[in-house]
Amino acid sequence: MNDREIVLARIRNAVLHKERHPGAYRAPDGPGGWDAFADRLTSVGGEPAGPYSPSAAGPALRLRATELADGGRIVAEASAAAEVGHGPWDVAPSGGLPHAFADVAVAIVRGEIACAENGAVAVCGADAPHRALAVLCRHLILVVDPKRVVTSFHDAFDGLPANALDHHHVTWISGPSKTADIEQSLVFGAHGPLTLDVFAIER
Amino acid sequence: MSARFDERAREVLPDDARVEWHDTAVFDLRRRRDLAVAEVPDWEALRGQAAAIKAHVLDHLDTLLVQFEEAARAAGARVHWAADAKSANQIVSELLAARDVHKVVKSKSMLTEECGLNDALEGRGIEVVDTDLGERIVQLANEPPSHLIVPAIHWSRHEVGELFHRTMGTPAGESDPERLTRLARADLRKHFLEADAAITGANFAVAETGSLVVVTNEGNADLGMSLPGLHIACMGIEKLVPSMSDLPVFLRLLARSATGQPVSVYTSMVTGPRADAELHIVLVDNGRTELLASDAHKRALGCIRCGACLNTCPVYRRAGGHAYDQPIPGPIGAVLAPGVRAKQGGAELAHASSLCGSCTAVCPVGINLHDQLLTWRGEVRTAGPGERIATRMAAWAMGSARRFDLAGRAARSVWGLLGRRFRGNPAEPWLSSRELPAHPGERFRDQWRERRGSADE
Repeated sequence: MNDREIVLARIRNAVLHKERHPGAYRAPDGPGGWDAFADRLTSVGGEPAGPYSPSAAGPALRLRATELADGGRIVAEASAAAEVGHGPWDVAPSGGLPHAFADVAVAIVRGEIACAENGAVAVCGADAPHRALAVLCRHLILVVDPKRVVTSFHDAFDGLPANALDHHHVTWISGPSKTADIEQSLVFGAHGPLTLDVFAIER
Repeated sequence: MSARFDERAREVLPDDARVEWHDTAVFDLRRRRDLAVAEVPDWEALRGQAAAIKAHVLDHLDTLLVQFEEAARAAGARVHWAADAKSANQIVSELLAARDVHKVVKSKSMLTEECGLNDALEGRGIEVVDTDLGERIVQLANEPPSHLIVPAIHWSRHEVGELFHRTMGTPAGESDPERLTRLARADLRKHFLEADAAITGANFAVAETGSLVVVTNEGNADLGMSLPGLHIACMGIEKLVPSMSDLPVFLRLLARSATGQPVSVYTSMVTGPRADAELHIVLVDNGRTELLASDAHKRALGCIRCGACLNTCPVYRRAGGHAYDQPIPGPIGAVLAPGVRAKQGGAELAHASSLCGSCTAVCPVGINLHDQLLTWRGEVRTAGPGERIATRMAAWAMGSARRFDLAGRAARSVWGLLGRRFRGNPAEPWLSSRELPAHPGERFRDQWRERRGSADE
């Protein structure tokens, strides 16, 4: 017997196939909408901005990205650039090694859905094919549609596009990278971005 | 490591001040958990849902694993099975050797701690860099982690500064956590960019879709999964959930129970490999099926490794993680130890508990930890010869009213000789931090007669 057969045989000796799944979980209503999300995002160390109209969003984003970059490189995923137009950013090229993003100061990435309960934004592989970009950068800006803010994490999972899993990853990001591994002192920017901005832009 | 629980505890927490410091740091996590839990009105319903899903998963583990394997393969991952730690280490070693890997970046995985994977790889000349900051600290210090979530919780900032100075050449005397974190970030970033492969654990795996879920606050697993061309995920077979809609149930419980955060910073769901990379998933048993076959203990396999039972445990808080001498310390470690790792330590650990039940009260997936510890005491031979003789004598004395009365009389007459003043007392270690209460002077039956008598009048 190979290891697969050994393990499965051991399990079959131990299980009865009787315990039933409890069924779908229904969470109670709670505070929702952009304002509730913005409060939660602030509490986890992120910076909410907006909501902006499509015309006002471009200038605000350019200003913030330039300020954060402090002369460094700004890169936007194509999906985000399509929403916010031209700016002081390069659109992430297709192909090449992910290591090429190691010097990025500011990354701009489209978020699919935002969750008021925990301040998390879903970044889907379809919008962020350069997975490394959002973690290698020093500052991350996520762009979301304020109509795509949901209340609970259950709603957020339900709201993912049907084909979300077809593009390698879906990453929920709640605030900037952090650690408290040295004497419980909270430090932002453990490995990933030191700051996280979430721009709400009406579509 | 020393042989006994209390001796090992004293190595890391040698004096009262250090014990107090550790206790405070750990209990702070428990306090944060309480605040976060209070914000969730459906907390108890959520726990119940999680426990029921886990019970379903464990009772259908064979079919769910096969479903997961098929879905993960369809998404482009390679799936491997390991009956034990040796087999798991061999699978990983061979994958790395076949691709001529020299450096691996690893994010936190209690399973690979359990399997001793780092040692196995280093034995083959592969450099393994632990990338979680706390794990990096204990790796540089050549120590095991002492906490599930905060592996270096027993280290002070000054000690970390000294360690970094010694091992990474950072400026002497640095003890500011933010600057130390920046220095470690710069050093680890270099390793991330140089690594040929990444090893991660998995917090959950979804049977329906073949997805892995990896949760971190630092983003170290994400860097690992997004840079090198090879990702190996090692996971225990019990980590499955049936479908995507089960995930938020556990994710809402996990970070709140661990650190009081509403959710961890990064919750990464990976389905199949990156376009430019390989993904291998190693499914590991290593004793889990033994627990699965035990009605009394299978529930322990529902553990989501949040650490809440450690943070609340009066024994863990004052003893520290190294006292347990197991990959997983605290109440859950003591429950898993005799089963997942049939080591001698298991018997001792069943007693490393006050059975106060606080662990059970905070467990987000409703594991009856203190009941299981009590059951283990019965199952593993825990008592030494002295204790067994004493228990037998007590049973004999309590077997008849006359013998019990005589035993009470005898005990009262030697009471003053017991306790810490009596040198050479076999109970001396136990009494080093406790004092016997004063005895009441007369026997219970006399007191009873007297009081009932007066009540009758």
